[in-house]
Amino acid sequence: MARVLNAALGVLIALVLGALIMLAQGYDPPASYTALFQFSLGSPYALATTFKNAVPLVLTGLSAAIAFASGPVNLGQPGQLLIGALAATIAGLYLDLPPLAMIPTLALLAIAAGALWSGLAALLRQAFGMSEFIVTLMLNIVADYFTLWAITYPFKDAAAYSPMTPPIATSGWLPELGDWNSAVFWMLAATALMWFLLARTRPGYEWRIGGQNSLFARLGGCPVDRNFILVMLLTGALAGLAGGLLIMGGPHRFLRGLGANYAWDGVMIAIVANNSLPGVLAYGLFFAAIQTGALGMELITAVPSEIVMVLQGALVLVIVASREALHQLADRLAARRQAQRRAKQAPLLESVEQP
Amino acid sequence: MSIQRTEARVADRSVQLAPPLIQMQGIVKVYPPNVLALDDATVSFADGEIHALVGENGAGKSTLMKVLYGLVHHDRGEIRYRGRPVRFRSPGEAIAAGIGMVHQEILLINEYTVWENIVLGAEPVDRLGRIDRKRARGEVQAIIERFHFALDPDAIVADISVAARQKVEILKLLYRDVSVLILDEPTAVLTPQEIPQLFAELRELRNEGHTILFISHRLEEVLELAERVTVLRKGRVVATLPAAQTTRRDLAALMVGREVLFSSRRTPQASGDVVFAVEGLRYEDEHGRVRLKDVHLQVRAGELVGVAGVEGNGQLELVNAITGLLQPTAGTLRVAGVDLTRAPILERRRYIAYVPQDRGRMGGSLAASVVENAIMTHHRLNPRLTRWKGLLLDRKAAHHFTDELAQRFKVSMPARAAPLRALSGGNQQKVILGRELLLECPFILLDQPTRGLDVGSIEYVHDQMLAMRRAGRSLLMISANLEEIFLLADRIVVLHRGEIVADLPVEQATLEQIGRYMLEGKA
Repeated sequence: MARVLNAALGVLIALVLGALIMLAQGYDPPASYTALFQFSLGSPYALATTFKNAVPLVLTGLSAAIAFASGPVNLGQPGQLLIGALAATIAGLYLDLPPLAMIPTLALLAIAAGALWSGLAALLRQAFGMSEFIVTLMLNIVADYFTLWAITYPFKDAAAYSPMTPPIATSGWLPELGDWNSAVFWMLAATALMWFLLARTRPGYEWRIGGQNSLFARLGGCPVDRNFILVMLLTGALAGLAGGLLIMGGPHRFLRGLGANYAWDGVMIAIVANNSLPGVLAYGLFFAAIQTGALGMELITAVPSEIVMVLQGALVLVIVASREALHQLADRLAARRQAQRRAKQAPLLESVEQP
Repeated sequence: MSIQRTEARVADRSVQLAPPLIQMQGIVKVYPPNVLALDDATVSFADGEIHALVGENGAGKSTLMKVLYGLVHHDRGEIRYRGRPVRFRSPGEAIAAGIGMVHQEILLINEYTVWENIVLGAEPVDRLGRIDRKRARGEVQAIIERFHFALDPDAIVADISVAARQKVEILKLLYRDVSVLILDEPTAVLTPQEIPQLFAELRELRNEGHTILFISHRLEEVLELAERVTVLRKGRVVATLPAAQTTRRDLAALMVGREVLFSSRRTPQASGDVVFAVEGLRYEDEHGRVRLKDVHLQVRAGELVGVAGVEGNGQLELVNAITGLLQPTAGTLRVAGVDLTRAPILERRRYIAYVPQDRGRMGGSLAASVVENAIMTHHRLNPRLTRWKGLLLDRKAAHHFTDELAQRFKVSMPARAAPLRALSGGNQQKVILGRELLLECPFILLDQPTRGLDVGSIEYVHDQMLAMRRAGRSLLMISANLEEIFLLADRIVVLHRGEIVADLPVEQATLEQIGRYMLEGKA
């Protein structure tokens, strides 16, 4: 209940802040917001687009949320996403299986590649005690330039003028069901599966407890070192899958700048959601909605689409900052109520020395 | 004597003693969100008396004193000091008014000398704003002499004993001209030998006109030192009594609200085979310092062995070597005939139940639910709690297990799904104790199992331990409380600088003798 209130308050304040900025710039906020939501939620097609755009946000958000809740500080989602995307692309260029075999194969390769990339950081930590926090961040840069090299030289589309690969085999394209890209179902299935894994299984239980109190988990007999590696592999796999689906559901080829800011948005979403997996899905969809509607808004009211960056920033700040404040406020109000109740039950005695 | 009668007698006395130096009236304090720490507490302190505050954990003793000291702000009620209403917003204001408090944890700068620590924050300065070291040291020396404190002002704090550090804390306040001294469990960190000196010094202070308010758990100390005793229970003052007119049993009954047994309930029983055995255990830390030195220790079935020692003499290392958190340099560990010296933790947990000293750090996860805390380790060892080759948690079984634990160990909790944090300390310990005892291990390791618990919960934990002893388990208890060891143990073992310097049947040991072993090692 408090979480929903927190979210609603955050969204509201962010929208008001955005409106004030628009007003200061001489734009019309009601018309702009109407356009924003018209183009993200207002029609079946807009809604489907929003869901499709949410896929990389939610998957990287799940990755970050699971890692943070379990202890490992995996901040390598951007790199893991790119490596996953590259693996799916390369396989898509050289393989051509029937779609029923092709799609799972590409997805699995993306998953494996993402896990490999995060596994590298886990290995370095286990072998040399190197902090996964630094290593995953550094591997992002390696992945960035490695994939750029790969699409500029060995896998470049000879007909293209800028670094990009040729399109993958059409059998690896994710099918569209009307307006809905089937990447959306992968996203929903992954969310449900991850929720089940964390909430209902023994490994999920051990991961969560280990994230809360690693010493307690260790003394309780949980294999904390193995769990660390498993979580790193799993969260890398999720980011890798995000990259694979990005290729298979979208441009069907690896373009320069493919990863955009998805993974960092995902990390931000995990933080806003306080590592709750349903929360990641909800905030991921909301972020996707305002990002999707931004272009429509720009078209109709000439408000630059960058305004959604302001909205996102405000949202994160308000929600994260108010989460603790709301807790404390509620606690203090409850304390005051109880103090007053006690005072009524036992009225203060008169001071002894007063005449 | 009935509790009601005692309470009635108190009311008479408070009238006789007017006007008091400090009067706290109808103090209500609720810690957000809903912990009622003080519930209309009324008490007064006379000028120049030694006044003890006793009560179970959570009774509100510390909170009441922190309210007086300006560290905690009360929601309702009035404080009068020297006849005028006061409300200190910070400890600084309280000290300026002449009220100072020494906390349980000692907060000094280890690298500084005694006098430097004492003047820190109130240094006398010369005209150029430089610290006037000579004057400062001289002033400190004068105070030490005036109150007959045996303390060298030039000693480095890191080199002096805990008892001496506590004196430094008291001197810090005296240096600031405090006339009311509040001491929060001053004897908790001291060995039996050090206590008489502290008491002598406190009496000296009282004779010089200071008022001393001290919080304690140890009733015999209270009766020895204090002139009056105030008993708190559940945030209320239930009685203020002259120490000369009350007994330990009366005070305990007032604290708990019922009679408490003080005598040992341990019944003699023949012990069985050796269950737990460490041999030649040695541990050197990463700096090459020897932390455990050739430790030989055996516990038989149906036997409870208590480990005494001043904190930091190898207890932590011994416990960690048993649980598997550290790997000893040499030696062996066997439980029930199985060599566990190099076994992984999970393997050890089949034979070793472990109740750690720090509930929030090792005993459980405060953020996790009661269920999640209850099933730890069982989720690996008890196949009934999982399905599908141990991959899925059986939620129904986990709930059932938790309910069973809660019922058997009388855990009172808001809900199974409530976070462990929402339970009182005593109930948290019951969850942990229950979880460990239900593992049904032949050997039970308890590290300060009653630390920070109230009298009622302590009694409960002791009962459970004795029941396990009767059931033929072997128990090893590390305790900083000698009385607890004497109350429960068959044998007492003293650790001194990582070495076992005494291993005696409790019947042959005396408190003084054990205290000497703790301080001086082998005679």
